[in-house]
Amino acid sequence: MSFLIPAAFGLAALAGPLIVLYMLRSRRQRVEVPSTLLWEQLDLPVSSAVPWQKLRLTPLLILQLLVLAAFVLTLARPFYTQQTLLGPHTVFVVDTSGSMAMGGRLERAKAQALDLIGDLSEANQVSVVEAGPQPEVLVAFARDPELVSDALNGLVATGGRADLSGAIRLARGLATPDRPTSVLIFSDGGDAPLPEEPVAGADFVRLDDIGPNLAVTVWSLDPSTEGTTRGFLQVSNFSAEAVSARAEVTVNGLTAGFVDLEIAALADARQTTPIDAGPGDIVTVNLVDNADALSLDDRASLVVGGGPDRAVSIIGSGSPFLGALVDAVPGFSSADEGPADVLIIDGGALPEIDRPTWLIAPTAAPEGVTITELVRNTAVTYQRPGEPILDSVDLSEVAVAQAQVVTAPRWLTLVRAGDVPLILLGEVNGQRVAYFTFDLTHSNLVVQVGFPILGARILEWLGGGSAGEVSSEPAGTPIAVAAPTAPVAQVTLPDGTVRDLTSGTAAFVDTGQPGVYRVDYRAEDGTLIEGPVAVRTFVADESEGAVRQIATGGGAIAEEEPSTLIREWAPWVIGLVLLLMAVEWWVGHQRPGWSRRRSREGTLAT
Amino acid sequence: MILTPELRARLERLSIVTRRRVSAQWSGRHSSRHKGESLDFADYREYVPGDDFRRIDHNLWARLGVLLIRQFEAEEEMPLKVVIDTSRSMSFYGKFEVARVLAGMLSYMGLAGGDRVQLFAVPGDEGRSLRIGPVGRHLSQWSRLESWLEDLEPTQAGSLASAVRRLSGEGTVRGSLILVSDLLTPDWQPALDGLAVGSGGVVLHVLGQEEMEPDLAGDLRLADSESGGELAVSTSEDTMRRYRDALERFALEAQGRARRSGLDYVLVPALPGAADQVLSALARAEAVR
Repeated sequence: MSFLIPAAFGLAALAGPLIVLYMLRSRRQRVEVPSTLLWEQLDLPVSSAVPWQKLRLTPLLILQLLVLAAFVLTLARPFYTQQTLLGPHTVFVVDTSGSMAMGGRLERAKAQALDLIGDLSEANQVSVVEAGPQPEVLVAFARDPELVSDALNGLVATGGRADLSGAIRLARGLATPDRPTSVLIFSDGGDAPLPEEPVAGADFVRLDDIGPNLAVTVWSLDPSTEGTTRGFLQVSNFSAEAVSARAEVTVNGLTAGFVDLEIAALADARQTTPIDAGPGDIVTVNLVDNADALSLDDRASLVVGGGPDRAVSIIGSGSPFLGALVDAVPGFSSADEGPADVLIIDGGALPEIDRPTWLIAPTAAPEGVTITELVRNTAVTYQRPGEPILDSVDLSEVAVAQAQVVTAPRWLTLVRAGDVPLILLGEVNGQRVAYFTFDLTHSNLVVQVGFPILGARILEWLGGGSAGEVSSEPAGTPIAVAAPTAPVAQVTLPDGTVRDLTSGTAAFVDTGQPGVYRVDYRAEDGTLIEGPVAVRTFVADESEGAVRQIATGGGAIAEEEPSTLIREWAPWVIGLVLLLMAVEWWVGHQRPGWSRRRSREGTLAT
Repeated sequence: MILTPELRARLERLSIVTRRRVSAQWSGRHSSRHKGESLDFADYREYVPGDDFRRIDHNLWARLGVLLIRQFEAEEEMPLKVVIDTSRSMSFYGKFEVARVLAGMLSYMGLAGGDRVQLFAVPGDEGRSLRIGPVGRHLSQWSRLESWLEDLEPTQAGSLASAVRRLSGEGTVRGSLILVSDLLTPDWQPALDGLAVGSGGVVLHVLGQEEMEPDLAGDLRLADSESGGELAVSTSEDTMRRYRDALERFALEAQGRARRSGLDYVLVPALPGAADQVLSALARAEAVR
């Protein structure tokens, strides 16, 4: 046992005065007796003149000395050291992939992390990184256990795959030179080795709870020849026993039928079922009476696509590539006559923008954009990362013979050539506008593999809000929500919660929950305009609940120091002090023999 | 109620025994020093004119030629004086309650035996040494005596010796005397010495259990409840041993002085069952039967 304040033992000298008090003869207590007749005959030597008396070790004196000793011990602050996983700075990387929902893995991870938080002191700092589909630093360099606890308690398993590598990179980014940093990974290991294994400066807490699981691994909807919708359901059995499963199909929350399946052990069962649902209906399949180890994958939702095509009118030079693009993108068709839902202005003058518009190098810039000059012979140098419109689209080979140099501070630049924006997204008059600063015929974009995908996504973005094609992506995939300017958007999550998005937010990233996300726009007058509907599905690979050991290299990222924790005995010693004080009080005031004497003295004094 | 019905029923079967012949005004059940009309022959004496010549023993006159008168024992009532100590020291440890029961018990027994019972309390009111209580000759008067006893309160200090002097009137107390007291008064010795009792009696020495085994500790100032005087005492094992020795000497001396005055002596701890203890002790001493 060591002491933080050994000098406090000097207070033990107070025992001296305490003992002296006991050696001092106390003032005689007056006791009335019937008669002193017999006492007078004793001829007693009364030594009241002597202030001292022989020290008698009474229980009270012993107890008071013990109280003093315990009190001094408390002030000396005894402590012991304890090894802990917490270093000077520890980053908790907590896996929130779908498989972490199996058998309470995530709850156990949180419990273990919270248990470690009990060791948090002034000497430690803790950061928390959520390793979900989109890794995120939840808490950085925190000394407040409550802050860390709140962050940990707020973690929920997503339906997606964890980006453990990205999370570890984030954790390493939190390392500072002045403070050794270690990473503690709470995970089931995922289903594939990490690129950087063994992970240096990290410890791995493996969470391997597992149990039988039945999962909806495929749920798709297709129009049938009968004019209805046909649902295709695949249920996978990840247990070693054959099971019977029943799936309830609901349309917009109302039961539309049941599908019964017999599934062999470690096998899949598939079945199609007709569903009376039209475009825009939310069709959900849910395994009923299924108490398995992972409930997140027991349910899947889709939104029926289709509906009337969006009419697209191309005005201007009319690149043949654009016409082909419009005809190729499902849900869109060229509008030869009549009003168009989407305009494509391919060069030429700028019309009044009263509907979603794709501007391709117009002669005049729309509101919020200023054309300053032209630039020649340039090439793409930047693609906005994480942008859904550019997902899987490689524009690195795109060269542009001539482009407008524009300034558009409130627009979102997707693609740049140096400092020159090439593709921008924005809004004019409350309408979505995509702006290409170059003529398609003055670049090689149209011959790139990614052009149809880029074009289709731009059309889909422009036509957003209709009940046309509904994006269905793995949970965690961001949802493009709006142009970067007003109106403000709000997103309704699958569990019904509504999140308001600040103006300028282009994508909603908190899409860990599997299910249907509905985006609405709030106009400046407060009215809600229906936006796109997106479906985020549970990643089927997570349903297996595979467990893998992540190899770690140990050691801190920065210079390592032994991780010891100073634990004080204070609570115990204070408890001892209080106990001794209580006993001392009892002995001094309540001891039965004493109380009898006091009672008798009371009688004497009557 | 001082005496329970059960105790009273028991007491009615007992009577106080006098050691000497009584001398009283009224006939009663106790042998008198006077000659009387009982059937017990006592003595002869010469005939003097005026004697009832029916008492002349004609047999002796025939044999001896002397006129002798037959004398018989007289039976007279016994004056029983019951003196209860009401000094302040009696108020401790339940002594007075026990003393009151004992005084009532012997008074009742005297009434049941046809004695002339008179109650006294020491000290008296308003600075007097003795408080004279009611007189009773029959059980029908018990309630008056009981009521008087119940009204007594041990609140004052007084001289036991003065009371005894007044009681005896500088002579011998006629009849029998019961003294119920803790004798914790400085003049207890002359008080007992002055009790010249005609027909005997008993001293019931009532002491509290706490007086017999004091449970005191530490340095104390003992305050005398009657005199108010204080005495510094430092208790220890030795002190308590010496106290017990002094108490034993006190009791022995009291017993000796009581005996010399013709009285029986019973040391009564003020505890429940004191009445039975006293009756047993008096029976052993043949003071009651």
